[in-house]
Amino acid sequence: MSAYFIRRFLLIIPTFIGITLLVFAVTRVVPGGPIERMMTSALVSGEQSAGRRDTQSGNTLSEEQIKQLEAYYGFDKPLLESYTHWLGRVLQFDLGESSRYHDPVWDIIKERFPVSIFYGLTTLFITYLVCIPLGVSKALHHNSLLDNASSAVIFLGYALPSYVVGIALVSLFAANWDIFPLGGFVSDDYDDLSTWEKFKDIFYHGTLPLIAYMAGSFAVTTFMMKNALMDNQASDYMRTAAAKGLTRSKAVWQHAFRNSLIPIATSFGGNIAFFMSGSFLIETIFNIDGIGLLGYEAILERDYPVVLGILVITSLLFLIGNIISDFLVALVDPRIRFGEAR
Amino acid sequence: MLKLNPVARKRLERFKAIRRGYYSAIILAALFVLSLGAELIANQRALLVIYEGEWYFPTYGDIIPGETFGFDYRYETDYKALKARLAESGEGVVIMPPVPYGPLETDLAVGDFPPHAPSIDSGHYLGTDTSGRDVLARIIYGFRIALLFSLLLLFFNYLIGVSIGCLMGFWGGTFDLIFQRIIEIWSNVPFLYVIMIVASIVQPGFWTLVGIMVFFGWTGITWYMRTATYKEAARDYVMAARAIGASNSRIVFRHILPNSVSTLITFVPFSVASGITSLTALDYLGFGLPPPTPSWGELLKQGTENLDSLWLVLSVVTAMTLVLMLVTYIGEAIREAFDPRKFSYYE
Repeated sequence: MSAYFIRRFLLIIPTFIGITLLVFAVTRVVPGGPIERMMTSALVSGEQSAGRRDTQSGNTLSEEQIKQLEAYYGFDKPLLESYTHWLGRVLQFDLGESSRYHDPVWDIIKERFPVSIFYGLTTLFITYLVCIPLGVSKALHHNSLLDNASSAVIFLGYALPSYVVGIALVSLFAANWDIFPLGGFVSDDYDDLSTWEKFKDIFYHGTLPLIAYMAGSFAVTTFMMKNALMDNQASDYMRTAAAKGLTRSKAVWQHAFRNSLIPIATSFGGNIAFFMSGSFLIETIFNIDGIGLLGYEAILERDYPVVLGILVITSLLFLIGNIISDFLVALVDPRIRFGEAR
Repeated sequence: MLKLNPVARKRLERFKAIRRGYYSAIILAALFVLSLGAELIANQRALLVIYEGEWYFPTYGDIIPGETFGFDYRYETDYKALKARLAESGEGVVIMPPVPYGPLETDLAVGDFPPHAPSIDSGHYLGTDTSGRDVLARIIYGFRIALLFSLLLLFFNYLIGVSIGCLMGFWGGTFDLIFQRIIEIWSNVPFLYVIMIVASIVQPGFWTLVGIMVFFGWTGITWYMRTATYKEAARDYVMAARAIGASNSRIVFRHILPNSVSTLITFVPFSVASGITSLTALDYLGFGLPPPTPSWGELLKQGTENLDSLWLVLSVVTAMTLVLMLVTYIGEAIREAFDPRKFSYYE
């Protein structure tokens, strides 16, 4: 078993290389790479774009400046060479320097991470705290009033993507009725507040985004729990339990419930990664300064070191999340013995 | 006539018995067919003009210059002006579509700066967007584009996914191993993020966007097909077919595929829904179809930038809720038809 997980961890390496190489290659192969785009945007807007930091005037980039830019991004070298160069630096925890802020990418990401982690962990916590009991009671009292009433609400969250829920919330509760703030993570005078007020302030700002985050995962997890428990209630071992005279609650809690946690465990790792890396859509809608918004702005500004840095972090989180899922599945399901002869 | 085998017929019966899903399917199909004729529903061109005894159907085909109807210009006739003129003089009849505005037509004549609030009088039943274009018209055309887009996406994703998955399951060995690694890589790529990166570089059109999304999205179905093929290939009837000398291609196309593909239909509604939502998300973020393509995401973006104009967001959110609910109802019903649940023994 541990040999299996060690192998899984080792397999992260080729997969990680594959993902980053894929994205690296795609940004190279497609016509009109970053440099050309930079040139056209410099031409069109005449703004201080990333590459023009050492020029003050002129609408086009000179031959020499293009060379400099290409050297800066490693575009002057063949794909594999510049990729290995980049990877070598990543291995030393050096993600390069942001072309927008001129700060190390790693520092920028580190600064934004707590915000995304706050939303991620809170969502994860509330989701599992509410969904598992709700799913269980829906399964046990299938077609009851509670089941049907909650299904209607949950179904809405299931059908709609979370960003649509977020947009609807922000336009109704923030813009129209003015109950919650339009966005941001904390108020401007946050530093002057007392601890309790700080806490309130965060949740005052956080209510709408948290609802939006939860809309998706909440529905999926509740339905998953309900369906798994219903399936298990119809399984053969439950018939055996009924036949040998076990009470229903004993049969459910000792047999069916444990088995029904398996699909929940399967999705846990994916959820961790998803919430940790934040959702650009929700962070963009609510203007929350987390990883998602950072990634979105970096793409808009063509800040490729940051773009690739976030890719590194999110894909690592996804890969590790998958392993955590498998580990949890093995934990709740004693039948599963990964890596042993089948 | 399509001949269904008994299992499929039974599933169809079960699907029809789930009223909610069945009616959703009918409504969605009707909406789709209606949207294919969107030019007859929301258009700046008239449906019918009777002028000096002649009948004109301007909806499809070349533009009819204003001169034809006695205006003094040679560009396209302004049918709303024509209607007002003819109604006054009684020289003819103009019948406009229910929504008398096209998706790209800007209407700045209402007096105020756009966006204009919904009003029955001006014919903007859901108001206009920030450039004075009719919201309802853009929602109708946006629906057609989003649905066609996700159907195409579905087709190519499934085509590639089924072919590769089936070959992986059937051939096994090195081919299987190589593609297992590839799929592992592909499925760990943060989908939306990478598409945003690529879209920010190429600025895609309709087909390029389909291409990009298929390139990163085909793996979903592949894994499922591989397992299904593996299972089928080990069954006795495959061995029997081989024993009587059936070729590999015959086994794959006549035996394995028909048996494994049928369950794919349970994924279809959810793929359609995810196609619509990801296109809308990309459009919202500004990495989707180029303007001025009518799109829900672009309307949402305008709505969040102009939160005072609540009708923008509300119209799109209502439309999306309606369509996605229908799709999800259908999906749930198909699932149930394929896998009827027995309930607890304790009942």
